[in-house]
Amino acid sequence: MDYTYPSVFLSYFLFFLFLFGAIYFCIRSFRRGYWGGESEDVKFHVFDEGDKPNGR
Amino acid sequence: MEEQQVIAEKTQGSTAGAVTRTVHTDTTSKWFLISSVSYFFIVGIVAILLAAKFVWPELLGTVSVLTYGRLRPLHVNGMLFGWLLACDMGLAFYYVPRLCGVRLWSEKLGCATAGLWNIIILSAVVELLAGHNQGLEYAELPSWLDLLVVVAWVMFGLNIFMTIANRKYTQMYVSLWYTMGTILWTAFVYLTGNLAVLFATGVNQANLNWMYVHNAVGLIFTPVGLAIAYYFIPKASNAPLHSHRLSMIGFWSLAFVYVWTGAHHMLHGPISQWLQTIAIAFSVMLLIPVWTVVYNFFATMKGQWHMVRENVPLKFLMSGVVFYLLTCFQGPMHSLRTVNAIVSKTDWIPGHAHMAVLGAFSFFAIAGTYYVLPRIFNVELYSNALANWSYWFLMIGGLGFFVTLWLGGFWQGWQWNNPSIPFIDTVVALKPVWIVRFFSGILMFAGITTFLYNFMATALSAKGRSAA
Repeated sequence: MDYTYPSVFLSYFLFFLFLFGAIYFCIRSFRRGYWGGESEDVKFHVFDEGDKPNGR
Repeated sequence: MEEQQVIAEKTQGSTAGAVTRTVHTDTTSKWFLISSVSYFFIVGIVAILLAAKFVWPELLGTVSVLTYGRLRPLHVNGMLFGWLLACDMGLAFYYVPRLCGVRLWSEKLGCATAGLWNIIILSAVVELLAGHNQGLEYAELPSWLDLLVVVAWVMFGLNIFMTIANRKYTQMYVSLWYTMGTILWTAFVYLTGNLAVLFATGVNQANLNWMYVHNAVGLIFTPVGLAIAYYFIPKASNAPLHSHRLSMIGFWSLAFVYVWTGAHHMLHGPISQWLQTIAIAFSVMLLIPVWTVVYNFFATMKGQWHMVRENVPLKFLMSGVVFYLLTCFQGPMHSLRTVNAIVSKTDWIPGHAHMAVLGAFSFFAIAGTYYVLPRIFNVELYSNALANWSYWFLMIGGLGFFVTLWLGGFWQGWQWNNPSIPFIDTVVALKPVWIVRFFSGILMFAGITTFLYNFMATALSAKGRSAA
């Protein structure tokens, strides 16, 4: 039994699954405002002092 | 100063109304970092032995577990999965909860993941030294260990995704996008490269294997490395990212471009010309995400460059960015048929690969480790001077290694393209290159040793203080 074609087609299947997933989430990122005028606010999350380490 | 005011205003705005601060225990992060830095040192010894074997081939005689064929896969897998990916996971367990403004979903699950990951790495050491090897580049581990890796990855992914699902902000910072991308892409890349490839034969198998090898770097280590850089560069420089929108362009262009490039490893090989051409075209297109990332980092550092002098994490980060730019310029150039005809299969390749994995992504991981170390253990770093030494050892050793192998690789390739030169003469001719490679490796190992010592001394000082 030669598994070459099933294995290659499995890889193609995974590839297209992730390709369509990427297209879907890319379009969704437009709808969620990541490309609009307010999209720069998110970069200040890095400085949000919610990160109190070890109860300090 | 103006930027710092903006940070203060925005931060106040985003935390207004918060009654309590989130307390992070970071237990998972500590376990991943302790084990990964230890593997960095242990596998570094293996790297030195391998470099020495190039210069003195009879070294260690014919003891089977110490032959090149046993040690080389141990070095590759140990550095990729024992050191770098484990360190990246440890850092992800640090920055993901902070960027989400919540605690990690499950520290218990995280610690179990760290335990399983250590079982995998230690088992891999035994299996690879025993010669149990699937014979596929980067996919040498036996299948039962591959399955454990999948289980550990699902545990890691579940913890990260649940933490992100519980976040207090609506929008996600770019590091979270890259981290989620890493988790999903690894599932695809790892399953294809380690399981599907076993059922293919001949050219199809080689093609799948090279897709895996290239995407192991491009869709696993690149996105998680960039997630780390996107988090720690603004943190270490105390300056907001230049443009979040630009970082989104980088993320999505990486997502759509990278996966097509693996076949450039098969140029001039027995695969279709159209497939080779597609791989070349997409390899050149990689310049788009790379430049958006590098421009964003350089622009973030505008007015902050003076901090690089004193700030060790920033030194590692910005050197890593330069190495990232260089290695990602080399990659597309190497994929051109004319250049590939010279450098393919030569020592130029390990020079290029080490600049990506060590020069860029390991530098990011070391920077992140130095940054979080005093914070997760709640003590001062043991020695800033030692941290500086580790930087210079790794920098000078790394440059010696990369540059020598690029030049040696071109020299080797030109000799191989001349059929009048016997092959063995091309091997003998490269000995001076391998001597420089060995001594550069000694310097890099000195950097790893000082890094490990600094890390352990800091961690132990925290333990001693809590015992007192």
